Amino acid sequence: MNELKELLFRLCAAPGTPGDEHAAAQIVAEELSQYGEASIDSMGNVIAKLGKKGAKEHIMLDAHIDQIGLIVTGIDDAGFLHIDRSGGVDRRVLPGSPVLVYGREVLHGIVCCTPPHLSDGSEDKVEPIDKLSVDVGLSKEEAEHLIQPGDRILLYAEPKALLGSRVSAAALDDRAGVTALIRCVQLLADTDLNCELTVVCSSREEVGGQGAMTGTYSVNPTRAIAVDVSFAAQPDVPPEKCGKLGGGPMIGIAPALDRIMSDRFVELAKAAGMPYKLDVMGGSTGTNCDEISVTRKGVPSALISIPLRYMHTQVEVIDLNDVENVAKLMADYIKEVQA
Amino acid sequence: MSDLSLLKRLCTARGISGSEDAVRSLILEEIRPYADSVEITPLGNIIVFKKGAKRPQNRLMVSAHMDEVGLIVTHITDEGLLKFDTVGGIDRRVLCGRAVTVNDKIPGVIGAKPIHLLKEEEKGKSVPLEDLYIDIGAADRVEAEQYVLPGDPVCFDSIFDTSHGMVKSRALDDRAGCAILISMIQSDLPYDMFFTFVVQEEIGLRGAKTAAYVVQPDAAIVVESTTAADVAGVKKDRQVCRVGEGPVLSFMDRHTIYDKEYYRMAFSAAKRIGVKCQAKQAVAGGNDAGAIHVSRSGVRTIAVSLPCRYLHSAVGLISQDDYEAAGKLISALAGDIAGGVSYDQ
Repeated sequence: MNELKELLFRLCAAPGTPGDEHAAAQIVAEELSQYGEASIDSMGNVIAKLGKKGAKEHIMLDAHIDQIGLIVTGIDDAGFLHIDRSGGVDRRVLPGSPVLVYGREVLHGIVCCTPPHLSDGSEDKVEPIDKLSVDVGLSKEEAEHLIQPGDRILLYAEPKALLGSRVSAAALDDRAGVTALIRCVQLLADTDLNCELTVVCSSREEVGGQGAMTGTYSVNPTRAIAVDVSFAAQPDVPPEKCGKLGGGPMIGIAPALDRIMSDRFVELAKAAGMPYKLDVMGGSTGTNCDEISVTRKGVPSALISIPLRYMHTQVEVIDLNDVENVAKLMADYIKEVQA
Repeated sequence: MSDLSLLKRLCTARGISGSEDAVRSLILEEIRPYADSVEITPLGNIIVFKKGAKRPQNRLMVSAHMDEVGLIVTHITDEGLLKFDTVGGIDRRVLCGRAVTVNDKIPGVIGAKPIHLLKEEEKGKSVPLEDLYIDIGAADRVEAEQYVLPGDPVCFDSIFDTSHGMVKSRALDDRAGCAILISMIQSDLPYDMFFTFVVQEEIGLRGAKTAAYVVQPDAAIVVESTTAADVAGVKKDRQVCRVGEGPVLSFMDRHTIYDKEYYRMAFSAAKRIGVKCQAKQAVAGGNDAGAIHVSRSGVRTIAVSLPCRYLHSAVGLISQDDYEAAGKLISALAGDIAGGVSYDQ
């Protein structure tokens, strides 16, 4: 479990906002190249080819490599940075938050928060994103020298171990999924597979899934399994909408997903004596599966999710056991694919 | 160049009001070799006496507070989550999404309901304090209680960054003041002086009240950090004071009308030694002066503060130039006040 944690923390520490995933992609590509031929494509996807070349079945594993963040839109006369969201950042966690600005150098910044005595009784209100700014403590001239519009900003939070096997970090959505894919590949390292296996760590999920769209087209698989995160039980989240930390893989069932695959995952989880939870959605899934499944002539797809608390904040929480179980479940599925 | 390593040691030590032990130990270690006497009062204040070259005209007390704002665990839920209250005046908008450390060793986080499940009207509202909790990863109450008890202090996790002439850190209020006092104690003084490192400022100036009673000073300089509102979206006339414009001198705040002569003396001293300083351009906030100036039969008091942005949150920002200038100004002013220099004659 310690190795898994270290891998996850290493992945979480690398920046990778949508469209700017290279630093994170580089680390993932290096990791995956121990097991197969790995490369980064023109959309920023990491693609690793494994298994039996030219086999009838070609399984694609997907997890997105990008994370939510902010993007610099301008610099004001006093050197404060105007920002926009890059993916669905929850603005309630922004005021007073430490951030890292990836300009010509990496700068510590703070999301401006008007002092309470000036809030005129409106301290309930969180300003819209175009009214929020980032303070890097630089004058306009200094800021313009080091930062330009388009530079990315991450909410700062060091990955950390909580009690037991639980961990907190920014970007667990979906570096936890990427970690599960790498772990799955590790579990399959000594197996002669009957299928071709391609691992795609896809870019730009948080802004629409463009990476998965183009990645799936170029991989052209016969089936796909995507790993993303889903809601874990926490106060304020209705129980019917969530799994549970440590409660095992959340196996997606939805009209947009392939029911035969979903059912097989349930059987495999039962056979392994592994906890699991059904994650039922009424239409599409809001994950890369929506793009993957309609690529070319269509790709039967499954969605396995890792339960996660506080999604889209800088303090997301997961249980490492769930990552291990998701990896094991996928490995079990891939091992039984017939030639 | 100022000694930022001292400031770093102080700012990275954890000590909310009533739990100042780690900060106190650190300060004692720094000052013991230089002090002529050190006393710890029943509430935990440190009172230092240091002899100078001459006996003073005025018995002077220079004071800074050791405590910082933070949180305190009030209840552990069946799910093993920690409910908390604030200690000191924390703006609740800055709580959500923070990483914290409970009881100086247990990591935790303050999460939020996922944005995907929010109703439209919830998206622009800060989360009320009663809906917030700290997650330490406990599976349930039983596991949580092995590590945490109600009453345990909670501090924000933060950074200590000194790039580009600024300091970005937790607890600059008032560890920057503590650092300035320590530097004075470690140097030669023109007159005998008292230095107090006090507890519980953030919950009502409680340490300072008792420290002033013990020292019985004629005069006091309170060394503080004060809100700089020179941030994006705030008009100049409402900025109170500005980072980079030098230490801040108060004429009046919510607790204190400051000694007028000392106020003028401070501006003169700044001019004489060639450092920038600025007036606090608002009657707002308050600090230990509120308790000290009414101690016993009254104490002539002035506050010299560092302009600090995002004062009561996970990370504040001060300028290194301001920090250095404040140190110089307070030393000069302390000499003037202790020596009985009068500007009004």
